[in-house]
Amino acid sequence: MKFIKVISFLYLLIASTQTFAQDSTASLLSILEKEMEQSKDVTIYTTATFKTTRLINGHSVENVGKGVLDVKVSHRFGNVSEGLYELFGLDKASMRAGFDYGITKNIMIGVGRSTFQKTYDGFIKVKILQQSRGKKNMPITLSYVPTLAIKTIHYEDPKVDNHFSSRLSYSHQLIIGRKFSDKTSLQLMPVFIHQNLVTLARESNDIFAIGIGGRQKLSKRISFNAEYYYVLPATKLNGTSNSLSIGFDIETGGHVFQLHFTNSQGMNERTFIADTKGKWDKGDIYFGFNISRVFTVGKKH
Amino acid sequence: MYSVSSGTITFRSDAPLELVKASSNQLKGIFDAGKKQFAFSLNVNTFKGFNSPLQQEHFNENYLESNKYPRASFEGKIIEDVDLKKNGYYNIRAKGNLTVHGVSQERIIKCELTIKNNIVSVKSNFTVLLADHNITIPKVVHEKLASEIKVEVKADLIDK
Repeated sequence: MKFIKVISFLYLLIASTQTFAQDSTASLLSILEKEMEQSKDVTIYTTATFKTTRLINGHSVENVGKGVLDVKVSHRFGNVSEGLYELFGLDKASMRAGFDYGITKNIMIGVGRSTFQKTYDGFIKVKILQQSRGKKNMPITLSYVPTLAIKTIHYEDPKVDNHFSSRLSYSHQLIIGRKFSDKTSLQLMPVFIHQNLVTLARESNDIFAIGIGGRQKLSKRISFNAEYYYVLPATKLNGTSNSLSIGFDIETGGHVFQLHFTNSQGMNERTFIADTKGKWDKGDIYFGFNISRVFTVGKKH
Repeated sequence: MYSVSSGTITFRSDAPLELVKASSNQLKGIFDAGKKQFAFSLNVNTFKGFNSPLQQEHFNENYLESNKYPRASFEGKIIEDVDLKKNGYYNIRAKGNLTVHGVSQERIIKCELTIKNNIVSVKSNFTVLLADHNITIPKVVHEKLASEIKVEVKADLIDK
């Protein structure tokens, strides 16, 4: 009896040392990685919240990298409901060509010209906060985008006293974005627009709107995007509606192709947020695309 | 128990149209001299030196998926016996599991060890086949990315 007890005790001892030994071999890496996880000496910044600096019409929280030139060509076609005769709007195109450039990691500038009202526009985008975890924990990315647009189309009535200032409009936009997962990102965009001249005396020169947008990745290189700007009814211009756009981003190396349907034809903040004439429920839907091609001008990263 | 005081990993993709090279100095590791066991690990998103910021983004987003698989690691055992208390130079083989992109491969990797005043310096060159670790390259970038990546590791380990 005593013999069996000793044997079983020995067996237990051996078994326990064996499991202990196994634990210690398996745990060397887990010890190390646990240490790495707990070490708070590095900040991991969230990147690629969106594929490019525009969500559809509006800005996303993304900046181009430092020393990167992004050439953007965008088209919005005519009304899809015009049917086959106009090839679903493809016969009529409105265009914007622009250049964006990253001065630093967090500051980019851009200029562009749209055929719509022969408008030149320029902007600065400053990333104030960047989503991160680790040493510095930040749940959101916050960007500020002021823009200026100059209409250069001939004055409607050249005989009256026209002022250059009447051609100008401004916008100030905050973008609060968060990448919730590899696939899902959302952003909120409160925006204030001021235009020096409005068509009707009772219209407001100041327009307040709040935008919401997001993306859902469908595969590594394709994402579905949506964007909506709600204009405060008290500040809304006569005969305009809120801008709603849905689209896809398709990325191939240095290019991003954005294909979308939208009720806006303008491609700068004032025109698509404050001056969207199309209505989705009336079938005023325009097909459009943005093509982005980046060139690295600066040094290595 | 030894641990990495400074460690660098550099990789190189030599393709017909483009050379991509990046490195990280964030290599961590521990080595149990008594059991001859080691573990090395690296946060994949610490690689720097790409040709463009976009390339770095694609490296993390599309190829290594560093959010999903944050670390690359190598753990295992040293085959040869080495007296770490004695200064000297050794050619050794490390056998273990190399995990990249969440896929483990059993590998035997040759290393050069230089021991000087209790500092163990490790140097190793090896290759990683992207296909071995389930990293797929789209056709359009076949000429820009090598299927075989050259890796160089340099690390100093000190006794804790």
